[in-house]
Amino acid sequence: MSDAEPAVDPRGADLSKDDTVLRVEDLQKSFGALVATDHATFEVECGTITGLIGPNGAGKSTIFNLVSGFYEPEGGRVEVNGTDVTGMEPYEVAEHGLIRTFQTPRKLEGMTVREAMLVGPRKQPGESFVKLFTSPGEVGESESRNLAEAERILEEFEIDHLATQPATQISGGQMKLVELARAMLAEPEILLLDEPAAGVNPTLQNQLVEQIRRLNEQGTTFLLIEHDMDFVMQLADPVIVLDQGSVLMEGPPQRVQSDTRVIDAYLGGGA
Amino acid sequence: MVLAEHLANGLIFSSIIVLGSIGLSLVYSIADFANFAHGDTMTVGAYSAFVAFGLVGGLGGSVLGLPFGFFVALLVGIAVAAVVAVVTEKVVYEPLDIDSIGLLITSIGVAFIYRALIQMRFGADFTRFGIQPLRPIEWLIPYGIRITKHDVAIVVSAAVLVGGLHLLLQHSDLGRKMRAMADNPDLARVSGIRTDRIKLWTWLIGAGLAGAGGVFLGLYNQLSPRMGFNLLLIIFAAVILGGIGSVYGAMLGGFLIGMINQLTPVLSELGALLPLVPDEFGIPVGIEYANAIAFVIMVAVLLVRPNGIAGEAT
Amino acid sequence: MSALTDPSEYWADLTRPEQGVLVFVVGFAALLLVGLLTGNLAPTYFLYLVGLAGMYSLLSFGLNSQWGFTGLINFSVAAFFGVGAYGAALVSADTSPIAGGFNPVVGLVVALGVAGVLAILIGVPTLRLRADYLAIASLGLAEVVRLVVLNERQWTNGSAGVRGIPSFFEGWPLLETFPSAMANLELALPGTQLVLGAAFWRGLLNVALVAAFVGVTYLVLKRVHRSPWGRVLRTIRSDEDLARALGKNTYSFKMQSFVLGSLIMALAGVFYAHLNLFVSPGDLDPVTTFYVWVAVILGGSGSNRGALFGGFVIVAIREGTRFLNEFDWIPVDVAPLRLLLIGVLIVALMRFRPEGILPPQRELIWPDAVDEAPSRPKSAVREVKGGGDDE
Repeated sequence: MSDAEPAVDPRGADLSKDDTVLRVEDLQKSFGALVATDHATFEVECGTITGLIGPNGAGKSTIFNLVSGFYEPEGGRVEVNGTDVTGMEPYEVAEHGLIRTFQTPRKLEGMTVREAMLVGPRKQPGESFVKLFTSPGEVGESESRNLAEAERILEEFEIDHLATQPATQISGGQMKLVELARAMLAEPEILLLDEPAAGVNPTLQNQLVEQIRRLNEQGTTFLLIEHDMDFVMQLADPVIVLDQGSVLMEGPPQRVQSDTRVIDAYLGGGA
Repeated sequence: MVLAEHLANGLIFSSIIVLGSIGLSLVYSIADFANFAHGDTMTVGAYSAFVAFGLVGGLGGSVLGLPFGFFVALLVGIAVAAVVAVVTEKVVYEPLDIDSIGLLITSIGVAFIYRALIQMRFGADFTRFGIQPLRPIEWLIPYGIRITKHDVAIVVSAAVLVGGLHLLLQHSDLGRKMRAMADNPDLARVSGIRTDRIKLWTWLIGAGLAGAGGVFLGLYNQLSPRMGFNLLLIIFAAVILGGIGSVYGAMLGGFLIGMINQLTPVLSELGALLPLVPDEFGIPVGIEYANAIAFVIMVAVLLVRPNGIAGEAT
Repeated sequence: MSALTDPSEYWADLTRPEQGVLVFVVGFAALLLVGLLTGNLAPTYFLYLVGLAGMYSLLSFGLNSQWGFTGLINFSVAAFFGVGAYGAALVSADTSPIAGGFNPVVGLVVALGVAGVLAILIGVPTLRLRADYLAIASLGLAEVVRLVVLNERQWTNGSAGVRGIPSFFEGWPLLETFPSAMANLELALPGTQLVLGAAFWRGLLNVALVAAFVGVTYLVLKRVHRSPWGRVLRTIRSDEDLARALGKNTYSFKMQSFVLGSLIMALAGVFYAHLNLFVSPGDLDPVTTFYVWVAVILGGSGSNRGALFGGFVIVAIREGTRFLNEFDWIPVDVAPLRLLLIGVLIVALMRFRPEGILPPQRELIWPDAVDEAPSRPKSAVREVKGGGDDE
């Protein structure tokens, strides 16, 4: 479903430029006196599940907001698939294939789960007011396609029993799964997950890990922020460690876990 | 010279607007919604003082042409406005389980309830405090300034209140916490400030100042049930110009908007007053569009600098 | 499922609030009918009331497509209504201070055009910002529009208002002369010989006109509400950031929703001008705006049939309280009483029933698509099939 299927096994691939989905260069952002992002530079390779970790206040969320266009950076550059998206509106960034989720998704009032899913697909003909009247047939066809696709993905996620439930009445953990499923409908080149495991019970967490892994094997690239270390370490490779707004180190999870700088940052910054 | 007269009037009107806009801005940032009942809180203050003045008006000697009783009435107006706002917060806003937009809409309902009750009791017509209007201060007339001692009293009282607020904000624990919370409510919450208590104080202070503003507006013009609601647009313009959540921004915004409002007649003769501009230059706007000018300024601020002059640029 | 073929099943299928509303509507209609038959309610006045109710329903539709769909707070409903009314009046009236005497259809087009431009002008600075900025700015806009209408006498006649507005059908073949032609008709009812004057037939034409406006608007809104377009608006209402993150240009969607709503409000104004045949600055009273707010919140934000219902409730309140003045034992004037009623209604609704009486309940998916998709077990939310009788 994603055309970003890597030609070579992502983990064995060399770091040639073409395989970079997201490139962040020298990104800067401050709020008043607080420097939230301090010359951050990193890349996300195609086909990976990259983890972004760091102690509280390390600037993880700020980076997400900068990359996805919600904040405007004061300096630096963001590239998605080789296109410079710095300073673009979030919807434009999304149009270039970078889709993100939120830490605490708000419930969509008055929608069923599958309605909420149907917000996902990009560029639906039915999103044009004029087309609703000039070409209702085209709108209907695309809506049928999207609905079928939504139900297929819900089935894959094993949450199809929720399809016609009101979106306000499912649990927070289920909502996280729905969010991930909806993001897949947007056919992302790279999917940014903001604390996908937060507030999710262990059973659903396992389900989440499984799904992310499966989608990754099918070709979706992930960048995720996560507090839960176990969750990150069993899923992500490589892992990027942020501290005080800049990249402290980057590497496979085992190396990151044993690195003294990372341990110091967590002990020092978290206190 | 005409300009001096307009500037003097601007100063008086500004004093009233500043009192209104400080409270609106504080409540906006700390209680986190645009309170459309703020103007009517001013009306509440004005009419409370009106009733109190009827009871104690004859009291004692006089300051600046105003009997002591007026100042007692002023305090009553401030107190009643503050109490009404706090009771409203406790009875109406606090039990609501809705977001800031829901609160905003609710506040419209509250505004109507205030106004309707006042109108039922006092009628829709204009009234005045039972105070003899004064002649303009003699020695200022040669300078083209026709203001009364009452006007001086408004400016001085407003300055005392604003000065008191400044001391409170800068030199008390409560003030520091209020500023912290206005700056960043979330941060204040996590850093252990008892936000509920601060919120209550904010309502008290904000509404109290609004009440004072209402009393002065009643003294400067007249009282009517619509007086506060009619001022709401100007006060919002002042708050947005100053930057929502900034107390000092609200003061500056209130001052500027109040001034410009009263300087409207001068705009058509701008060229004659400014150097380097041809004499014929002017913006021909009638005094009836004074409120529209506040609106235009507001829209311009939203376009260019939505966080206001005192806020951070984005 | 039809009320005619199987009333008891139809009744059982309704939710409690729906049943309540149905009882209210039927009761109210019965009351009016009794009034008509006993002669307490003049037929012409009755038609005027129905026209007004249609007009308020249009206004509620307009606000519903801004606030109900997208969560946009518009406090200048009265201003857009006024622009519609004045636009129609100034273009079509003989006594118009600017070029008047055009066909009312030209007035309709001009009025909608001006309202659309005004909506864009106010949308540009505010729709990129937090929702409350639009609330504040639109409150200001309402004031400015009122000031302009009041003070620019050379264009609007100022406080004197505009007279001599023709009926909407002037210049139309057949319909123009319909009322006067029918006026001579004698209706033979059992027992009485009824002659209905031209005023009655004119009223009937107006009701037909507003029914057409309301009907077309309702159908348009029903279609767009259940489309992907409407779904984006509803997403914006709950979580604008989510919509942006999913690649929706929310600024553009909000603008479309705002302009659409403003056009509908102006349409209500156009109808009013041709119903009342006279417009004045008093018609721009900001209180109108909040009547409409009550109607939309009461009916259920986002629900078109709720807005329709709310429109009728407003007329019941407005015209109902009018009679209170005739009772001497009520010590206060009706104006503040109405104001109090609006205020209390707003606060009480936000407290006890923020979703309104008839919130939209059915799944909103493009009808063809639901029919084609594999069927699923139903649960709490009822599904709507192609022929569903509401949004």
